[in-house]
Amino acid sequence: MKNNGWLLLKTLLLSTSQRNIYKYSKDKKKRGKVIAGWIGFGILYLLLIAYCVATSIGYGQMGIAGSIPVLCSLTISAMAFLLTLFKTNGYLFGFKEYDMLMSLPFEARTVAGCKFLYMYCQSLPWYLGIALSMMAGYGIYERPGLSVYLIWICLSLVLPLIPMLIAAFLGFLIARVSSGFRNKTVIQTVLVTGVTLLLFASRFLIEDMIRDDRVEETLESLANLTENIAGVYPPALWFAESVTGLRISRILLLAGCSLLLFEAVFLTVGRSYRKINSSLHAHGAAGQYRLSAQKKHSVLLAIAFKELRRMLGSTVYLVNMGLGELFCLVLGLAVLILGFDRFIALFTRNAPIETQMLFPSIPLIVYFLLGMVATTTASPSLEGKNYWIVKSLPIDSRDLYRGKMLFNLGLTLPFMVFATLCMCASARVPLGTTLLYLVQGCAALGFSSAWGCVCGIRFLRLDWENEVEVVKQGAAVALYMFPNTFVTIGLVVLSVFLGTRMDRNVLSLLFTAVTALLAFLCYRRVMTLAAKA
Amino acid sequence: METGREKKPVLEIRGYTKVYGEGKKAADKVSLTVESGDIFGFIGHNGAGKSTTIRAVVGVLDFTEGEIRIDGHSVKEEPMACKRITAYIPDNPDLYENMTGIQYLNFVADVFGIGAKEREEQIARYAGRLEITEALGDLIGSYSHGMKQKLALVSALIHSPKLLVLDEPFVGLDPKASYTLKEIMHELCEQGTAVFFSTHVLDVAEKLCNKVAIIKQGQIIAEGTMEELTEGRSLEETFLEVVDEK
Repeated sequence: MKNNGWLLLKTLLLSTSQRNIYKYSKDKKKRGKVIAGWIGFGILYLLLIAYCVATSIGYGQMGIAGSIPVLCSLTISAMAFLLTLFKTNGYLFGFKEYDMLMSLPFEARTVAGCKFLYMYCQSLPWYLGIALSMMAGYGIYERPGLSVYLIWICLSLVLPLIPMLIAAFLGFLIARVSSGFRNKTVIQTVLVTGVTLLLFASRFLIEDMIRDDRVEETLESLANLTENIAGVYPPALWFAESVTGLRISRILLLAGCSLLLFEAVFLTVGRSYRKINSSLHAHGAAGQYRLSAQKKHSVLLAIAFKELRRMLGSTVYLVNMGLGELFCLVLGLAVLILGFDRFIALFTRNAPIETQMLFPSIPLIVYFLLGMVATTTASPSLEGKNYWIVKSLPIDSRDLYRGKMLFNLGLTLPFMVFATLCMCASARVPLGTTLLYLVQGCAALGFSSAWGCVCGIRFLRLDWENEVEVVKQGAAVALYMFPNTFVTIGLVVLSVFLGTRMDRNVLSLLFTAVTALLAFLCYRRVMTLAAKA
Repeated sequence: METGREKKPVLEIRGYTKVYGEGKKAADKVSLTVESGDIFGFIGHNGAGKSTTIRAVVGVLDFTEGEIRIDGHSVKEEPMACKRITAYIPDNPDLYENMTGIQYLNFVADVFGIGAKEREEQIARYAGRLEITEALGDLIGSYSHGMKQKLALVSALIHSPKLLVLDEPFVGLDPKASYTLKEIMHELCEQGTAVFFSTHVLDVAEKLCNKVAIIKQGQIIAEGTMEELTEGRSLEETFLEVVDEK
């Protein structure tokens, strides 16, 4: 990249640098928020490191520490691919400062390349966290030489590039296809989610490939395992061979391919970058409206409708917040088509499990998908520069957040009812129990909306430049998502375990009561915070 | 403006002070009164404190000291009562770009609890006069700056406010829309609405306003009726003289 490319990259990083805000802001509250953000980031980072180290130790204890480099490579690659696919639209195309940047003497490919590298720099600390903690786990069991550590560290910087570039290129193709349509957001969302679903489906195919060779036997042999995976994703093999075999050719192959792919992708993207952005910025204006009868709605419904329009108008927001609903739909249909037992067998690998044991986990599995991210985590911050509207209008702050929670419930409840009914019908759950699970689902979604709103208000950030900063990287979303996901997984396991020792309906009733209580407490907290906002 | 109605204070600002984190005073003991039927111009250099004052009046910005009352209600203690009778248009109206114009107007009308019939009449009246009716079915994201301002104006007038607050309302408007806006401002003040607006365009202020306040470095340095303030000179001459003196 030319010198002005580095200048642009530096400026992009500086423009969203929290350190810069801390250094130059005289506002104590703002500086305090930056510190709180760092603390939150640090806690999540430590959790991630602990998880990766624990996974490596697990591998070590099983005697397959040699597989850690492949595991590390695959984990980072999968994360980099998925996260980039979800972020590309917001970072590379249709961003706010497009006009300003393109009016400066930068080539289109430089702007696109810098935007990509900016995205890479923002995500790199997370990938390094995974890579280095797995390296530590590998080091404990394999006791490699110093050169292994050095190569591992250096290649950790390169490892996310190929999957990120592939995802960015797919994002580019999606943007290019959708830019030709009037409903660009909907087309983009459908294509992105389609690719995501394909990826998830391919996971099962890959597992089948490995399982054909019998997992236990394969795990004993690193060579077999890497060979199998290399058939699907060669860079994983290159990384593993670079680290374990210290093969210079593989190091050069990984670095060279990353560089060549970067050049090729942005040469291609650069050619139609201007055209795509012009199409994405252009709005079809019919200018033929005739004033007709209007309807009056309550303030809460008006706010909920506003939220719906906000979500439908943004691919980043829609894809990230609507994924749970889509998965729920797929889950419901899959269970209906495959049958409950066969569906569960996909995950339990045909382990002998009594179907009824899993009944109490049904509402929790549904909640795991729908409660993954609540729109209320991001929607307060997404007001951004529009905040003046709700602040200057006679909207009670509590009504504003009630409206946001109402929208989240309106969005998630129908999917919860659908998925729960599909699972219960397929598993032949008694009617009374089904109703109990529906009530439990309602309580869980009530909790999700309210807890999300607490996080959204506590970590309100209006001065964002790109909505990705709120939807994907926001402190509110992170604080909500990670604990919620882990606790829900824990509760699924706990519900199955406790279900074998006590009456399952009593257990579900207990879960419902606790969740409803938490939802109520969170709702009260939202009202307190809203009154102060 | 002489409306023949009994004048009563709609906006009263007393000792309004806004201090930012580092101790910088953006507004220092600002006091002024806008009465019903007034078109009150608020003028000053860039960064003088006009927008800071306006944002505090409409409840967007918190303030350090003083009292702001709208129709007798305190902005700090009764913000909802104040907002129900106020309309605000910022200098650069960032609207919900993913909504269509008509959806946005309905949103504002719902917030003010305006009935279906009344909102239809108000929208037809103001959108028609500002010539944006045909664009109301399009996404706000497709609007030009001027069209966004016109839409913001329609949304501000939809509930017949007692106090209309505008920050640099003429920037970005085409000549015809500017003329219509001035007409609307006159009509509103004849109906007893108070209009409080900031501007850099002194010619417009001179022709439109019956009262003016000049703000410099957060302090009001001159205030009064147009006649009292200018004493036969142009507003531009008065402004430059007052600003250079103080």
